[in-house]
Amino acid sequence: MNKKMLAILFASGNESKLNELTLHRTTASLPFAGRYRLIDFALSSLVNSGITRIGIITRNNYSSLMDHIRMGRDWDLNRKNSGIAVFPPFGLNTSRDVYKGKIEALYTVLDYMERAPEDYVCVSNCNIASNIDLEGILEEHIARGADVTMLCHKANVTSSKRVIITKNESDLVTDLCQVEIPSSEEKLVSLNIYVMRKALLTSWIEQAYARGYVDFEKDILFREVENGRIYAKEITSYAAIVDDVKTYYNESMKVLNEEVRTQLFETGRKVYTKVKDSVPTIYGEKANVSGSLIADGCVINGTVENSILFRDVRIEEGAVVKNSIIMEHGVVMKDGQISYAITDKSVVIGAGRQISGSEDYPIVIVKNKKV
Amino acid sequence: MQVKKECVAMLLAGGQGTRLGALTRKVAKPAVPFGGKYRIIDFTLSNTINSDIDTIGVLTQYQPFDLNQYIGNGQPWDLDRLEGGAFVLPPYQKAKSGEWYKGTANAIYQNIDFVDRYSADYVLILSGDHIYKMDYNKMLQYHIAKGADCTIAVQNVPIEEASRFGIMNTDADDRIFEFEEKPKQPKSTKASMGIYIFTWAKLKKYLIEDEANKNSHNDFGKNIIPNMLNDGEKMYTYDFKGYWKDVGTISSLWEANMDILDVSSGINLSDADWKIYARNTAEPPHFVSAGAKISNSVVSEGCVVEGTIINSIISRGAKIKKGAIVQDSIVMPNAIVGEGATVNHSIVGWNANIEGGAKVGEYQEKAIAGEWQIAVVGPNVNVKAGDVVKAGAMLEEDN
Repeated sequence: MNKKMLAILFASGNESKLNELTLHRTTASLPFAGRYRLIDFALSSLVNSGITRIGIITRNNYSSLMDHIRMGRDWDLNRKNSGIAVFPPFGLNTSRDVYKGKIEALYTVLDYMERAPEDYVCVSNCNIASNIDLEGILEEHIARGADVTMLCHKANVTSSKRVIITKNESDLVTDLCQVEIPSSEEKLVSLNIYVMRKALLTSWIEQAYARGYVDFEKDILFREVENGRIYAKEITSYAAIVDDVKTYYNESMKVLNEEVRTQLFETGRKVYTKVKDSVPTIYGEKANVSGSLIADGCVINGTVENSILFRDVRIEEGAVVKNSIIMEHGVVMKDGQISYAITDKSVVIGAGRQISGSEDYPIVIVKNKKV
Repeated sequence: MQVKKECVAMLLAGGQGTRLGALTRKVAKPAVPFGGKYRIIDFTLSNTINSDIDTIGVLTQYQPFDLNQYIGNGQPWDLDRLEGGAFVLPPYQKAKSGEWYKGTANAIYQNIDFVDRYSADYVLILSGDHIYKMDYNKMLQYHIAKGADCTIAVQNVPIEEASRFGIMNTDADDRIFEFEEKPKQPKSTKASMGIYIFTWAKLKKYLIEDEANKNSHNDFGKNIIPNMLNDGEKMYTYDFKGYWKDVGTISSLWEANMDILDVSSGINLSDADWKIYARNTAEPPHFVSAGAKISNSVVSEGCVVEGTIINSIISRGAKIKKGAIVQDSIVMPNAIVGEGATVNHSIVGWNANIEGGAKVGEYQEKAIAGEWQIAVVGPNVNVKAGDVVKAGAMLEEDN
């Protein structure tokens, strides 16, 4: 049997809760950690695990994603055999709308999966920032004779709709449930990354689709638990699930932690992204930067504390940026002040202006806005 | 039959660059890092593609592996083309002979077939050890408009410095009547930049003749250009006014890097219309920790800065530890400056490790251009804790 795996990624999901941040883009193309888009982490983990056939299912606003990925060259995915396939929203003949849930979405790519020579498939959302060795996970999956290996991590359940896993000492999943009410208790939370045998997935999807099921987790996995072949694989290194503005802000800020950066970037498995050929960052005489993650192409002559600057950001003299995320081409003009804020691409904070959110409720400033 | 290319560029990248000492012991000069994330050759490669010239032969000979790997298929410079693109051209064995490149002219002579393959009308000769941004296409249009056989790019240098350069003496129409290599009494201030455009049919004739002459040095400056002048060929200078620097010595390499920090120097790397491309190494953004202090400096991807950086170029992946002070220096890729170490007026080579408390180089208030006493810690060299490296010293890896 061919041990190789292909991957299916869902570019969309949770857009409604990411509000302004996904107005013009998919969750997959949400900028993260200074120079990346969220999908870079999934793509890099896959490529570094030897998985080079990757289908990406999109639903809406996917032009930013297409622009980011292009032919996949920056991830070494411009292959003659395999490589990236982006599936634009695909209305089935029987339905007027684009797909409703994962089951319908996977049904639209059944042909793609069946034509592929790989015997295993990794199904994943794109709202996860982590650096995962899937090669080892597949080995383990096969050795156990599992139907499904669900990747999960220990986390506080801060937002609803997350799938909580109960497992026994041999990692067999004994219960799955979805909490509606967030709690601060630490639980084993599904990362929505699944490894399974392709033939099994396609047969499940065909049956579920025929019955009109929508939700992959509730309608398939929850029911399959009793058959006793779903295993949980805990990821102990850093893994972020980004599904609303709050988690986006909190998880971004965690990257300022050295240990988190080590687990994301210093694993020997590189994280790739679209190359933009920015110049290195230039610090002026008046620059005062501390505790911050700074991408290439910035020009800094003000104060930056505990913040993340994406590529080509300009911080002018006297400006103060604290606890904030400034995306690509952002400008904070002379003496402008900003704290607890997320400014989307090309936002300009005018001279002397002051903007402040709070730690619990970071303010989001939409793309291209001039304040 | 290949698609015709009006102009093919040939980049002479075979020189050893002995004056860069430890930095070019294992790599060719064009592969030496520059400006935080670049290599010297990125400037000529980027100029070429930005000038709409998409076919370039890179002639390598000395320590070619690193350079070959770096150029690869030319993709980072958009030089991976169906027709044309970037080609690394090492010396090769032919049916009747096979030999190293004897000189700059011989290197082109040995690759006559390469240029002929594209039916080129013109050949642009470049060297891979200069930092500048130049639109070669403008020079080509000038060459064509003049109906020239050879056009040589020149810079106006101060007359007191002219005796360090190859000087072109021209008439009012910029036609060259005399070429003097490093003249004691310069008659003009037009210094050759080592950038030539030749009408290919003409150059080919001179290359073949030169090869037949057993006493020739097979060199453009010593043989081809004087021979063409003697024969009265139409040779013109092309004035170039922008930033241009030969980075053949430690002092000039250091100065050119420092020019990035000086807005008035004219080397603006942030020009969106004239990007300088480089092969990317996929590193995360750099991190500046609490307690770090950075002023008037360039910091690249993958760096972690905990110490103090003043007037310096910190290249990708370098680590500046707590309490370390780096001033007026270049720290090359993946080098480490340990806790409490000081680095002053120095070049720290790639992967070098300065252990805690070591002292590298000495502060210098001022020096004449080209005569800075720059300490060099060679690539992969380990400077032990507490060691002192004197100003102008050069440390090399043991072999």
